[in-house]
Amino acid sequence: MKNKALMVVLLFIILLSLVGCNGGNGKLTESSTSGQKDTKTTVINESTKLKTAADLKDKRIGILLGSVHDAYATKTYPQAQLLHYKSLPDLILGVKSGKVEAAFYNRETLIEIFRNDNELAFLEERVYLIPIGIGFNKQNSGLREQFNAFLKQSKENGVYDDMVNRWINNGITDMPVIDNPKTNGVLIVGMVSDKGLPFAIVKDNKLVGFDVELSERFAAYLGKELKLVDTEFGSLIAAVSTNKIDMFASSVMITEERKQQIDFSDPYYELGVSVFALKKNIAQYDEQPDTVTAIPFIKNLSDRFHNNIIRENRYLLILDGLKTTAVIALVAAIFGTLLGALVCFMRMSRNRLAITIAKFYISIMRGIPVLVLLMIIYYVVFASIDINPSLVAVLAFGMNFAAYVSEMFRMSIESIDNGQTEAGIAGGFTKTQTFLYIIMPQAIRRALPVYKGEFISLVKMTSIVGYIAVQDLTKASDIIRSRTFDAFFPLIMVAVLYFLVSWSLALVLDYMEARSNPKRNRKAGRVTND
Amino acid sequence: MIKTEHLSKSYGGLMVLKDVSAHIQKGEVVSIIGPSGTGKSTFLRCVNLLEIPSSGSIFIDNTALLAKTTNIPQIRQKVGMVFQSFNLYSHLSVLGNLTIGPIKLLGKSKAIAESKALELLKLVGLAEKADSFPDELSGGQKQRVAIARCLAMDPEVLLFDEPTSALDPTMVSEVLAVIRGLAKAGMTMMIVTHEMEFARNISSRVFYMDEGIIYEEGTPQQIFENPQKEKTKTFINRIRSFNYHIGSKNYDLYAMNAEIEAFCAKHLLPRKVFSNVLLLVEEVLGLQTEFSDIMLTFAYSEKSGQLEFVFESVGISENPLEEGVRDDDIGLMLIKGTCESIRYSYENGKNILLAKVKGK
Repeated sequence: MKNKALMVVLLFIILLSLVGCNGGNGKLTESSTSGQKDTKTTVINESTKLKTAADLKDKRIGILLGSVHDAYATKTYPQAQLLHYKSLPDLILGVKSGKVEAAFYNRETLIEIFRNDNELAFLEERVYLIPIGIGFNKQNSGLREQFNAFLKQSKENGVYDDMVNRWINNGITDMPVIDNPKTNGVLIVGMVSDKGLPFAIVKDNKLVGFDVELSERFAAYLGKELKLVDTEFGSLIAAVSTNKIDMFASSVMITEERKQQIDFSDPYYELGVSVFALKKNIAQYDEQPDTVTAIPFIKNLSDRFHNNIIRENRYLLILDGLKTTAVIALVAAIFGTLLGALVCFMRMSRNRLAITIAKFYISIMRGIPVLVLLMIIYYVVFASIDINPSLVAVLAFGMNFAAYVSEMFRMSIESIDNGQTEAGIAGGFTKTQTFLYIIMPQAIRRALPVYKGEFISLVKMTSIVGYIAVQDLTKASDIIRSRTFDAFFPLIMVAVLYFLVSWSLALVLDYMEARSNPKRNRKAGRVTND
Repeated sequence: MIKTEHLSKSYGGLMVLKDVSAHIQKGEVVSIIGPSGTGKSTFLRCVNLLEIPSSGSIFIDNTALLAKTTNIPQIRQKVGMVFQSFNLYSHLSVLGNLTIGPIKLLGKSKAIAESKALELLKLVGLAEKADSFPDELSGGQKQRVAIARCLAMDPEVLLFDEPTSALDPTMVSEVLAVIRGLAKAGMTMMIVTHEMEFARNISSRVFYMDEGIIYEEGTPQQIFENPQKEKTKTFINRIRSFNYHIGSKNYDLYAMNAEIEAFCAKHLLPRKVFSNVLLLVEEVLGLQTEFSDIMLTFAYSEKSGQLEFVFESVGISENPLEEGVRDDDIGLMLIKGTCESIRYSYENGKNILLAKVKGK
């Protein structure tokens, strides 16, 4: 126990020192003041400060993975180095930490961000305009027609203008109440939850935004219940073309390339494409002397903690994510263990076919990254079936886990002296009884230490389920980051939680290991000389 | 009770058992002796189908074991087996080893099984080890637990597969004593063993196995005192022999002495014989000048109780027993003092000494 206490203390020391480094640099985010020098940021001299978007020609430019800015930037800045980020928070962090000099994103969302963040500014507010639309499966033209009719009606009766006014022009972030009889079934809409205001964002643990309201209103128009599915931006098109979702509403820009795979509605808005950068790197913002003194370290820390964890009950997101992670990991472990036992049984049987199948299974599963397996199961195997993505995660992790544990079981069973089997058989047990009563208890005890390690890595492995729209612990931290643009607290918080989950699970397995030691159950002081 | 007819077993092309037929009555104690690799263990393991015979048939209480309808596990419950390597269930305590069978197979309650188990442990002298685990016991204790484990199933027959071969010489007797007790109580037993004295005392019948068949069988008196066939005679008269080869002058004296000691201990030779044979070997080697190829052979005949020592050295003819050649003949006197008789001969380029060691 002493060791464990020591470990916890050590962990806290490491954490504190991390906080110290970060806070000491005065690198603040939401509550930060402008103009503070960040030593980590690439130093840009006055002469190299950016004046217009054209100055980016030989710089590093951040781009959202799968966005239309990619093609534009590639064409316009052939000399520039393009870095692809997975989400908006990552993109913003990239700019803030100087990983890229500037980045492309849509103007409307950036305006929202700049309301709360005065480190960043537009380098060029309107590089060009691009229409956005709702995406539909090519086979689903009926729904598309309905949407176009709904859009036309909204524009005519003023609802649409009201929405634009509220969300985009005035920055109001409250969802109105929309009447919906919900008698006509369900409308499943894919959406990127961290797309950013005004289109979609998680507030008070609910999705809000222009896209959300548009979807709500369309669902009400159809009389259907709206079900929003949080999807990675890069997976939206795959999801709609495999009918995982009926449509997506995630301010997706209409391009020829995308039109080949899916159908778009009439444009419902024209997005401005902007380039933004750190203010201090932009020539037109001359460096202002610091007017505000640095906020005390502790105050700063508690502000950020409050902002990232407490505000809008964000800890609930983390708790939900934790629950999802724990459930997926546990169920996958149980399923994987059972499947692994079956594979082990086949692998150790005398049937040639069974052995071949088991060997094949094991080598396939060990040879494919779990993430790829996860996507294959979700987007290929169950392409046309409506299946709960958590179930897919359990399947994928379980199948992977099974391959490893089956070999582990085989190893521990084979390590048991053949004499044990012979003694059981000679003692009158059937083969099955011998295995159950004599071999298995010994094999389990030998397998447990390795099993424990595999199980813990399974828990950590689940952090990739965000790819198939499951909101786990990692995804929860992504969502928080998408609001606060603070990498430190959500990431450290999640790291600590993963550690605690793994650690407590390891403790449970430690306990089981101790329990399985037969000598532990020795009866003390049996009277033997009566 | 047990009947085998034309039992054969081959591994690949190698015929280990050839047409073995035997009939064992209730209450008989049958010892199976013979050189290594002649099918003794295979025969025993065929009786409870741990090895499946290639052909032939086996009957236990008139049930044909090889018939498809026979419930083999149920038959095995009545046939206990004691292994050379004990094979105690290592995850269970001594008590657990004794009760798992009765509880899971005979449907006894835990309390009844445990009280019976404790009784049996008392019988083999290990009641105080009831809560110990196999890895906490000595070899002799393990084997006694293994015997008790078989008894817990109320067997009709016990099979022993070299029960003392894996034991230290000091622990052999405690196990043999337990088996002797069972023989007195009238248990039907088949015992594969290398303990000749034991086999001779305990058995009602002895099978001498050689060349994959029961080469000769009879009462212990017939087999040990008056064997009829040539191979049986050779085996009985020179049951155990032990060779040690020396190839250079810098041989390992301590390793050799340790092996001689182990050999003497194995045959329970008196201390006197052991010290005599050590002295004899030392003095004979002391007289030797040529060390290129020396073979020492020790042979103990249980029948005569005599230890025979044969010394063969390749080289030119040179009689070490010749008196007056060296400065003194102290070595020679010591040699003669340790032997009842010693004789020199020269055959095929080898100097040969043949001695019978004193100290019977």
